[in-house]
Amino acid sequence: MMKDLIAYIAKALVDKPEEVVVTEIEGEQTSVIELKVAKEDLGKVIGKQGRTARAMRTILSASSTKLNKRSVLEIIE
Amino acid sequence: MEVYEFEGKTAEEAIKNASRQLNLPVEDLKVDIIEPGSAGIFGLVGTKKTKIRITVDTDDSIDSSEDMLAAKEILGTILELIPVQAVINEEQTDGRISLNIEGDVSGILIGRKGKTLDALQYIVNKMVQKRLDRKPRIVIDSENYRQRRIESLTQLAIKMGNKAKKLKKPVSTNPLNPHDRRVIHLTLKDIPDLNTKSRGDGILKKVVIIPKR
Repeated sequence: MMKDLIAYIAKALVDKPEEVVVTEIEGEQTSVIELKVAKEDLGKVIGKQGRTARAMRTILSASSTKLNKRSVLEIIE
Repeated sequence: MEVYEFEGKTAEEAIKNASRQLNLPVEDLKVDIIEPGSAGIFGLVGTKKTKIRITVDTDDSIDSSEDMLAAKEILGTILELIPVQAVINEEQTDGRISLNIEGDVSGILIGRKGKTLDALQYIVNKMVQKRLDRKPRIVIDSENYRQRRIESLTQLAIKMGNKAKKLKKPVSTNPLNPHDRRVIHLTLKDIPDLNTKSRGDGILKKVVIIPKR
């Protein structure tokens, strides 16, 4: 679910949606959501002063609250 | 379709006036010259201003409903994926699209100080911009949060203004986003013995309320 959420948002922000890869690594308490995009698109998912990345993290944390989980979003370079 | 009339010493000046007042670029104006005007004799006797007629296509209703549909669909999908059960009510007021989320009563969509609501609004705006290649203004609200926030910020501004006056010293708010800062500035704008300034870097800045001496 959280993986799909991030994938949906990221794909709509980048120029190369086909290169968006999201993986969810489930830990005991915390899930790590890894987001990979094309090199040229990195700026688009990070945004000015990291604003886009921060907004995605905020939405993700709303989702994890709802699901009673913990999760972090990592953007992979 | 809306029709306006403007005047100027020359046709060029009239068009510039029109562009400024209607807040539209010159290229987008449909101009008819009604009265060509004349420079008069030596520019003194018998000068007549040029009158022009501007026709503005207000046929953007199709476009903005496209914006609205895109915004609603995108927000709807995000909510489904979170997942929350909610209904989105849309409204359109002077060039702004308002989406109101109803049904979630847990407050997770609002977040602390509206953080989640702001994040949703920011992301949805970005996604719509990318999809349609233009920048409609989309406001996302839930449980009337935006209005409540304005009211509590107004009260905060007044309280801090009084404090600054009493202490005869500047007082500052917590770091606020641009919208929230604007509310503080506007609330205190008409109070004659107070000045307000934003201070800090980045998106979040503090508002400093300074008593005049």
